[in-house]
Amino acid sequence: MTGSELGRYIIRRLLQTVPVVLGVVVMNFLLLQLAPGDLATVLAGEAGGAPKEYIDQLRQRFGQDQPVLVQLFNYLRNIVFLDLGYSFRQSAPVLDLLLARLVPTLLLMGATLIVSLGIGVLTGVLAALWVRTWKDHLVSVAAIVFYATPLFWVGLMLILLFSIHLDWFPTSGMEDVVAFHEGWARVVDIAHHLVLPTITLSLFYLALYARLMRASMLEQRGLDYVTTARAKGLTDRQITTRHVFRNALLPVVTMAGVQFGGLLGGSVVVESVFAWPGLGQLAYQSLFARDFNLLLGIFFLSSCLVVTVNLVVDLVYVVLDPRIRIG
Amino acid sequence: MRSFRQRFLGNPRVALGLAWLGLVVAVALLADVLAPKDPFAIVGAPFAPPAGDFVLGTDSLGRDVAAGLIHGARTTMLIAVLSTLAAVGFGAIVGAVTGYYGKLVDDVLMRTTEFFQTIPSFLFAIVLIAILSPSAVNLVIAIATVSWPPIARVVRGEVLAVRSREFVQAAVVAGQRDSAILVTQVLPNTLSPLIVTGSLLVATAILFESALSFLGLGAPNQMSWGFMIGAGRSFMREAWWLVMVPGVAILLTVLAINLVGEGLNDALNPRLADL
Amino acid sequence: MHRIPFAMASAAIAVALFAGPSALAQKPGGTLVQITQPEPPNLAPYISTSGPIGQVTAKVFDGLLDYDFDLKPKPALAESFTVAPDGKTVTFKLRKDVKFHDGKPFTSADVRFTIMDVLKTNHPRGIATFKEVTAVETPDPHTAVFKLATPAPYMMMALSGYESPILPKHVYGVGDIKTHAKANEPVGTGPFRFVEWRRGEFVRLDKNKDYWRAGQPYLDRIVVRFIADASTRTAALEKGEAHVAGFGAVPYNDVKKLGALPSLEVTTKGYEMISPIVELVINTRKPPFDNQKVRQAVSYAVDRKFVIDNVWFGFGKPAMGPISSNFAPSGLYAAGIDFTVADRIERANKLLDEAGFPKKADGFRFEIVHDITPYGEEWQRFGEAVQQALAQVGIKATLRYEDVAKWLKRLYTDYDYFISSNFLYNLADPVLGVHRGFHSDRIKPGTVFVNGARWSTPETDALMDKATVEADAAKRSVLYKDLVQKVSEGSPVIYVLELQFPTIVNKQFRNVITGPLGIYGNFATAYRQ
Repeated sequence: MTGSELGRYIIRRLLQTVPVVLGVVVMNFLLLQLAPGDLATVLAGEAGGAPKEYIDQLRQRFGQDQPVLVQLFNYLRNIVFLDLGYSFRQSAPVLDLLLARLVPTLLLMGATLIVSLGIGVLTGVLAALWVRTWKDHLVSVAAIVFYATPLFWVGLMLILLFSIHLDWFPTSGMEDVVAFHEGWARVVDIAHHLVLPTITLSLFYLALYARLMRASMLEQRGLDYVTTARAKGLTDRQITTRHVFRNALLPVVTMAGVQFGGLLGGSVVVESVFAWPGLGQLAYQSLFARDFNLLLGIFFLSSCLVVTVNLVVDLVYVVLDPRIRIG
Repeated sequence: MRSFRQRFLGNPRVALGLAWLGLVVAVALLADVLAPKDPFAIVGAPFAPPAGDFVLGTDSLGRDVAAGLIHGARTTMLIAVLSTLAAVGFGAIVGAVTGYYGKLVDDVLMRTTEFFQTIPSFLFAIVLIAILSPSAVNLVIAIATVSWPPIARVVRGEVLAVRSREFVQAAVVAGQRDSAILVTQVLPNTLSPLIVTGSLLVATAILFESALSFLGLGAPNQMSWGFMIGAGRSFMREAWWLVMVPGVAILLTVLAINLVGEGLNDALNPRLADL
Repeated sequence: MHRIPFAMASAAIAVALFAGPSALAQKPGGTLVQITQPEPPNLAPYISTSGPIGQVTAKVFDGLLDYDFDLKPKPALAESFTVAPDGKTVTFKLRKDVKFHDGKPFTSADVRFTIMDVLKTNHPRGIATFKEVTAVETPDPHTAVFKLATPAPYMMMALSGYESPILPKHVYGVGDIKTHAKANEPVGTGPFRFVEWRRGEFVRLDKNKDYWRAGQPYLDRIVVRFIADASTRTAALEKGEAHVAGFGAVPYNDVKKLGALPSLEVTTKGYEMISPIVELVINTRKPPFDNQKVRQAVSYAVDRKFVIDNVWFGFGKPAMGPISSNFAPSGLYAAGIDFTVADRIERANKLLDEAGFPKKADGFRFEIVHDITPYGEEWQRFGEAVQQALAQVGIKATLRYEDVAKWLKRLYTDYDYFISSNFLYNLADPVLGVHRGFHSDRIKPGTVFVNGARWSTPETDALMDKATVEADAAKRSVLYKDLVQKVSEGSPVIYVLELQFPTIVNKQFRNVITGPLGIYGNFATAYRQ
């Protein structure tokens, strides 16, 4: 495949994603219209009560006195120019709010992905090598235990143990708000705060990756090319490292790619337990406040990222595995 | 090569998993006999530790934790199984139809599943619950709605693979109707991945229910394991049993389902199992 | 000879003054970390009275007045005030040495702007509080004269920096006040100035070095942190990462545990101007609750003591009517019918029998749905306790738990409910917080936290109208006694308990809770030991 073919492929795929993303925006918009109650009511409720005139005034300001289709049209028109609107509840442009949360989200999710993928793949490979021994069973059972333990429980137990009893890590937040470190000290401080939430979230995902990696390894080992390789006189070790491992990694990478897109939506539970300022929390709060401009913005961002990640995963596939044709 | 049954039931892990699941199902069916009282009834002093007047203690309002566990088995399993059945049913139909007819229909499905993929599924479930309001039925709807797309994809993939095979082509040539071909020829061949994925979906549904309840979005009138965790989470440090009892129940059940699911997978794909 | 003891005495006093703990301890410095839950939606207390906003902005904005624990006004931005004999003119003398955080001086023009252009037209409660204000005259830069259409004694209770923050006209007077650029970067005259708000994390407020109360504030900085999970909030306080939390930010069952730690103390003071009441509001136009006897029966059935002990872990006392006992010092408090009597279950059953709802074969008289206030766990537990209490007298209740938007619509727009838990503040005066619950004026579809019960009588309306304009406390107290009795007979709302919010304070910090506004105070006198 030539470079220009690849370039054309990417452009075509990108063009295809535009209607998908717009469709997603429309679907989300209409879906949220189904939720009873509106932002004006919530704001009045938060205020502990407000006169009717005030609420009507709010609705007018939010444009909610318009018919739904007009609201939708306005929203779409703005989104074409990447104007995600204004969060009336938070008195700030949606884009600013999203960008402020993007870095912490990427930090937590990136760290989680690295830790869980690294350890998950490693334990998955080991389990596959030890297949049907007690060690393999132990890994499988441990993986399921991690998978099935509620995240909030793990999180709170880690806080109790490592934060309160051992005093190794802070309970929550992203940095020390008494010291307000700067420069490298700040980097270290943030990394220090990142440890417990990353462990909590990683336990869940590494269980998934370990299981997937094990299954994938076993599947590859059963394929014909392994027999051929063996017949050619390659050692088991060579076969495993050169062929099986690389091929077995593909589905795990796909899964991780797909999940990374989803991960960017944040983790409501872990962010809540560790007071991590991510997008999940923001989405959760804006849903219950009916702050739909903000929520739609988050969904929009998330869908753009998912579509992009899908494209990247496909490209990685094309590059890694020449048998897959683009088209 | 051993028979499917031998391979499946002969596996000690599967036997263990089935034993636990059997126990849970039996408890769920016999809940009213084992604990005849309303599990929400206030029956004793709050925070009574286990192994006192009440086997598993009482919660913050003085409700019997054992009764909650028993009735919770029923609600939790019902929600998990029903949402899985709904997701598998819907996903299988959509996957089969699109896989069989291809092209236009297929494009629509792929775009639709993409839509579902773009919203993180847990967040999507929360949105649905906010729209529908928390109740057992709505939990089933929400969980099923976010779970069906992977099923549809799996079935579609299998159908695509099976469609071009000789026996299907033969049926087409013989003039069988599409629906008949789908049901008699195509779907049975997709059954094994469907069963495996579906069994794991039950586990996911249980975890979904407990996470939603943790956020206070569970069904308020049905005692479930998720409800018990949600109600006990504030008291984790002084009354460990409130979270531990339902938490361990969930853990063991998810574990059992996974063991059985893996066993099914191994048994249905003997080449893999006999490595 | 008589002089010596005197000299000794004065020496002793001098020692106490210079070496005593207070003089030593109030050395400036330190960062106080406050936990506020949930995160405020914005920092614009002039357009939203959402609870968390005030916990931050009361440190940034001053009011014309302050209040002591008995709810008596104290000077703040206004050095003094005089009310004309007819009650229709109130004259405030303003301090002359006050500067806003941007260095510009504070004058009567700012007061006029704040009251007339902002609070009276945009503040959710200000619209009612300043309804009678027709003009604010500014004869000179340091005098503000409020002209009223009819006397409004209750207005004098609503002039704190929390309730009616005074804004700089030169900042907020430019541009649309509803979407103002400074909505999240407040500029006021208060002891702390706004520095930074990192969403989802914290708001940072630094010491206002030019504060008009000389030497104050003592603290260098206040950081307000937002931690969504309740157990984590407890852990942060326990570990000393945060120092103050109130308004139910910490689970009630954790409060005792925290109070037992040597580093922390717990107080229930600092809510006297808020007086929260947990109640059950009844849809009095929906059968069977259109029957007064049924409503009274429900009131008897609810076990207030059980709820206080097991849901709010002791942080409350039974409510005896719509007016909180916090108004006892001002003489406005009155108790209604005692629904906590020993034979309350028998009474409830008898009332229900009389009302024509006998128990059927299954033990139940009728079925209802009980809506739950969507404010978190303790409200769910409260709902479950009410469900069990109702079952005891033969009422079968199904629980419904919806989110805030849906619930508010159900209660105050659609009136599509039987009975719901609810949470209302008495606020600084019964006119502001109590009348709204059952005055016929306040049956307004679409307006939240008003008369959702849709119950009123001409007699009770008349009593409230008189109490609104009555300046004499003794006369008002007679009116309220009568009102409370009538409301408790009608039982449109079942007053369950007066919630006593606990505030947890790290003992390193002193003088944190110094008035009836508690965490809504400005912390100017708080210092680190």
